[in-house]
Amino acid sequence: MSIIDLTSMGEPQSQLRAEINERLKKLQGEVSDYCFQCGKCTSGCEAHKLLELEPHKIVALLKRGLIDEMVNSEVIWTCMSCFKCRERCPQKVAPVEILFALKNMAVASGKQIPGNYTAMLQSVLSIGLLQEVKSVTTKESKTKTRNDLGLPEISKPVDTTKFQMMLSKIAVEKI
Amino acid sequence: MKKYAFYPGCVMPTEQYAYEISLREIMPKLNIELVDIKGFSCCGEPIKSVNQMMTLTLSARNIAIAEKEGLDIFAPCPMCHLALTESKRILDTDPVMNERINKSLEEENLKYTGTAEIVTTIDLIHDIVGLDKIKELVKKPLKDLKVATHNGCHLIRPSEIGRPDDPENPQKMDNILKAIGAKPLDYSEKLDCCGGLLNANLPESALTKTGQKLKSVQEKGFDVFIDTCPWCHRQYDSKQIKAGETVAAKLSVPVLYLTQILGLSFGVSKEKLGLDLNLSPVEKLEILGGK
Repeated sequence: MSIIDLTSMGEPQSQLRAEINERLKKLQGEVSDYCFQCGKCTSGCEAHKLLELEPHKIVALLKRGLIDEMVNSEVIWTCMSCFKCRERCPQKVAPVEILFALKNMAVASGKQIPGNYTAMLQSVLSIGLLQEVKSVTTKESKTKTRNDLGLPEISKPVDTTKFQMMLSKIAVEKI
Repeated sequence: MKKYAFYPGCVMPTEQYAYEISLREIMPKLNIELVDIKGFSCCGEPIKSVNQMMTLTLSARNIAIAEKEGLDIFAPCPMCHLALTESKRILDTDPVMNERINKSLEEENLKYTGTAEIVTTIDLIHDIVGLDKIKELVKKPLKDLKVATHNGCHLIRPSEIGRPDDPENPQKMDNILKAIGAKPLDYSEKLDCCGGLLNANLPESALTKTGQKLKSVQEKGFDVFIDTCPWCHRQYDSKQIKAGETVAAKLSVPVLYLTQILGLSFGVSKEKLGLDLNLSPVEKLEILGGK
């Protein structure tokens, strides 16, 4: 199992999908019982004005079981994870968590992962961190490294082979 | 001195050095010892959209590393703090998840036991160090400085998981700033999101969110904008000019980490607080020679 296999998700992962499906079914049960479409989530949604995300509609679509349609839609990737919908719902429904499950499902179904997510995932899988250590530029346009700034060596996984082994198990076999 | 495992995360130790420098400078003055530990990894929160199980496991792994040293955890990044706290909550309450994640951790001889407390900058300074200690250390009070505080989403929500401050009316950062003589004021966009997480797939929209908030802060005449999240700070400080372009505004708002402005009020030199790394116009502040 290499990193490429993990991130390209060439083969749809049936076990992983079954588990996310279970998560979605559980969420569906919750929203069917509680959500009464008051729209409070959408009124406070950070992505609503700018990107037309409407969390109450996501909930309504889940209620009707239109999961595939949402998994195939780009709109699920506009959520900024601000958690306002989850915080403010009078019925304790959490649209943001539904969106996380839908995005996880899109990835597990072998859909193209948008933007930099693939690069971020690959970086975590190979060095344990989102990105490599960067050198930065000061306002006077001087380049500085961690070392120049007197900062100690960065903390990251020591035995990368074991670390990758642990993660690849989660990404493929465990879920 | 109270000791904490210093959990740096990714964004701060790979590029947001001003936060790390200023934390390492002021924490010992607050009688907090930061212990560097090898082997930490990403908390997993930024890739939660890809695989939530991986987020939970990565966070549990980091907690387990600190537990091995017998230390509580200080995670200065609110996003890391949320991920670690959520993972802890799930592992403490769900025996099935606990067993499953611990099985994965066995690969690296780690075990999550649930002994470590997890704190972030705001609760560490406000609740554990306390405002009296801050007041005691002030040498140069920042008199009447009009401050816009930015908590960032992950610091205050979702409250169900346990966050350091109120989800709708956070005041701890404001209280800390009042203790150094500054004048934090509420403003209608205080709880707005920086958009930072959209950088992964919709970077233009992320900048628009940043620009919208900062434009309003500028129009309201604030002297300075204060944050504690490296993701937010990257948007408001490092990318301020670009963010302004997306909302047709020429932005010129000094943006500092809370730890930097605390350091200045304690009389620490700007070099020791990494202020040459801020790309926003911090020189406009009176304490840094502005008028």
